[in-house]
Amino acid sequence: MNRLVPPAAVEPDELRALRAEVRAFLHTQPFTPLVDTWLSGWDEEFTAALAARGWIGMTIPKGYGGHGRSFQERFVVTEELLAAGAPVAAHWIADRQIVPSLLKYGTEHQKQEFLPKIARGECFFGIGMSEPDSGSDLASVRTRATRVDDGWALTGTKVWTSGAHLAHAFIGLARTEPVDPAHRHAGLSQFIVDLRGSGVEIRPIISMNGAHHFNEVILDQAFVPDDMVFGEIGAGWTQVTSELAFERSGPERVLSTFPLLASCATDPERELGRLVARIAGLHHMSSAVAGALERHEPADVPAAVVKVLGTSTEGDIADYADLRGDPALAELVTRAVDQRPGFTLRGGTNEILRGVIARGLGLR
Amino acid sequence: MSVDPDLAAMMDSVFADLRVNTAQMWSRLDNLGLVRLTGPESVGGSGAGWPEAAELLSAAVRHGVRVPLAEHDLLACWLLDATATVYTPARRTLALLDADGRADGVPWCADAERIVVVWPCAIDGADGYRLADVEPSELSITKGANMIGEPRDTVVATGLSGVPVDPGLVAKVRHRAALIRAIQVCAALDRSLELSIEHVSSRVQFGRPLAKFQAIQNLISDIAAESALARAATEAALSRAIADDWAGRDVEFAVAVARSCAGHAASVAVRNAHQVHGAIGTTIEHRLHEYTRATLAWRSEYGSVRYWDQRVADLAGTAPDLWGLIAPAPGARTP
Repeated sequence: MNRLVPPAAVEPDELRALRAEVRAFLHTQPFTPLVDTWLSGWDEEFTAALAARGWIGMTIPKGYGGHGRSFQERFVVTEELLAAGAPVAAHWIADRQIVPSLLKYGTEHQKQEFLPKIARGECFFGIGMSEPDSGSDLASVRTRATRVDDGWALTGTKVWTSGAHLAHAFIGLARTEPVDPAHRHAGLSQFIVDLRGSGVEIRPIISMNGAHHFNEVILDQAFVPDDMVFGEIGAGWTQVTSELAFERSGPERVLSTFPLLASCATDPERELGRLVARIAGLHHMSSAVAGALERHEPADVPAAVVKVLGTSTEGDIADYADLRGDPALAELVTRAVDQRPGFTLRGGTNEILRGVIARGLGLR
Repeated sequence: MSVDPDLAAMMDSVFADLRVNTAQMWSRLDNLGLVRLTGPESVGGSGAGWPEAAELLSAAVRHGVRVPLAEHDLLACWLLDATATVYTPARRTLALLDADGRADGVPWCADAERIVVVWPCAIDGADGYRLADVEPSELSITKGANMIGEPRDTVVATGLSGVPVDPGLVAKVRHRAALIRAIQVCAALDRSLELSIEHVSSRVQFGRPLAKFQAIQNLISDIAAESALARAATEAALSRAIADDWAGRDVEFAVAVARSCAGHAASVAVRNAHQVHGAIGTTIEHRLHEYTRATLAWRSEYGSVRYWDQRVADLAGTAPDLWGLIAPAPGARTP
């Protein structure tokens, strides 16, 4: 039978050398290692230091202010940052998914406008997909974009927009045609929305532990000029789904609680071994998917495999550390168990992803 | 790590045939150059590598053919070649004795023409090992079998004389043996998945194929995901072992990771494959047990899952930093 996940290979020496370089840099940085830092660790100074090393926007061509490096090199750097629990939230979304989306669908003007600023660590993005009535069923979004002079006016509500209160823009998914029940994926379009522009109101959604990462973004006739239409009008569904593998197969689906696992290694009991082995196996698997993405191979099914296994395991690590009850780790454990429910929800719930795998196996 | 597709197809068709025509299996495999697949040509081997050997073992598993190719070629004869021992052609297996001169669960002893025996002993005051290539009659052998009926015998030896073996070679052969079982488990997991997909696609209940029920899709997705993880860990371990010639901490860690992942994948795959098959999957006439029971037998050989979990934990506990163990970067400073 065809294999679900591409073969893993031995990491070449250049990538190992890059790991050593990132580790050396991290030793010079003053952050405290934490869990789930790609959502909760917003530190613009750290982002600036990382950008100065050329480790943001790595895959952006040099002509757009980037570094022309491979997707695997970016993978290695992001793995190192998350394993160390470094505060990477500020630039995470822009670096992970806005860069590949802009490179694929952006106009020349949009690339010139955003890519150099992203690579300098000066422009932060959010995600404008989910809505109060559209969680897993993204095609049901109700935010409407209507044609006005020189552009579009967006009206609707987006939710779970992490970092919207600090970010500069998001790419919003909106209906540009009424729903056609026979073709419900048609009539959707994407727009680059200035989160500091008029007609945009940002309200915090406070998490159960009192933290503020998420927001509700209310769009009331928010104006988007024609040159900020993203991709093609009507092609929004294809655009959002074609880039999902970038969002689902990365190290942030495996390593969100790694600093906690590393702290538990001082007491090497058997269950710790099981979890370390899973993380090591997932490291090989997600690195194989990174190779597939570099080769432009379709990777949505292997990415779903990584995300189902990885997010379950990073949650199991939180629970495992909680079961051990080590008072010295109490603060980190509390953060981890509070973040845990989100691991298997964000970026496509594990229930949706099992459906993606089943389709890949020919069951649907 | 790819294998010539023609060679892979040949191996597959050989085992498809051997499944039904079992007579003179060993000599037929020998005539095709498959019993000493990885042996150097100077000793009559075929000069192939581990990727081909893994393909051969997997093909045997796919067709449910039980034959000691790995024990003969990759363990016993490899160790004879590695110690520059002169030997005559014969079907062999390997027995790794403990300090009391005993080994349990030795694969295929009762079927072997000769047995390569390794035992610990002091050499010039230091811990070491000796090796001898002996006839079965020189050993006390008590026949046994694992849960799928493969010979797993108890061997007791006294008064053997042998040549010294570098302890590094003994460590290598242990890594090789452990990873062989992981390769076999992966092949059996893949077949359990295939049979499960075939079954739920053809079996109709409540007016539709089982495959259309989301609950069934989830069970099968989990078999697929766990099997893919076992395969990723096993292939990574094999690549690392080939690159580092089976020696060193990174190889030991990678092998332990593969055995842990494969062992736990078997828990999910066996449970879910039987669940979607329903009662028919528990019968002797259905082929599912050839794969599910085999995974359970093999995941416990050359170290139980518990043993390998603990090895991973111990290596994690003694590594200067855990991430450096998982993603080695030579030259990197440790915290």
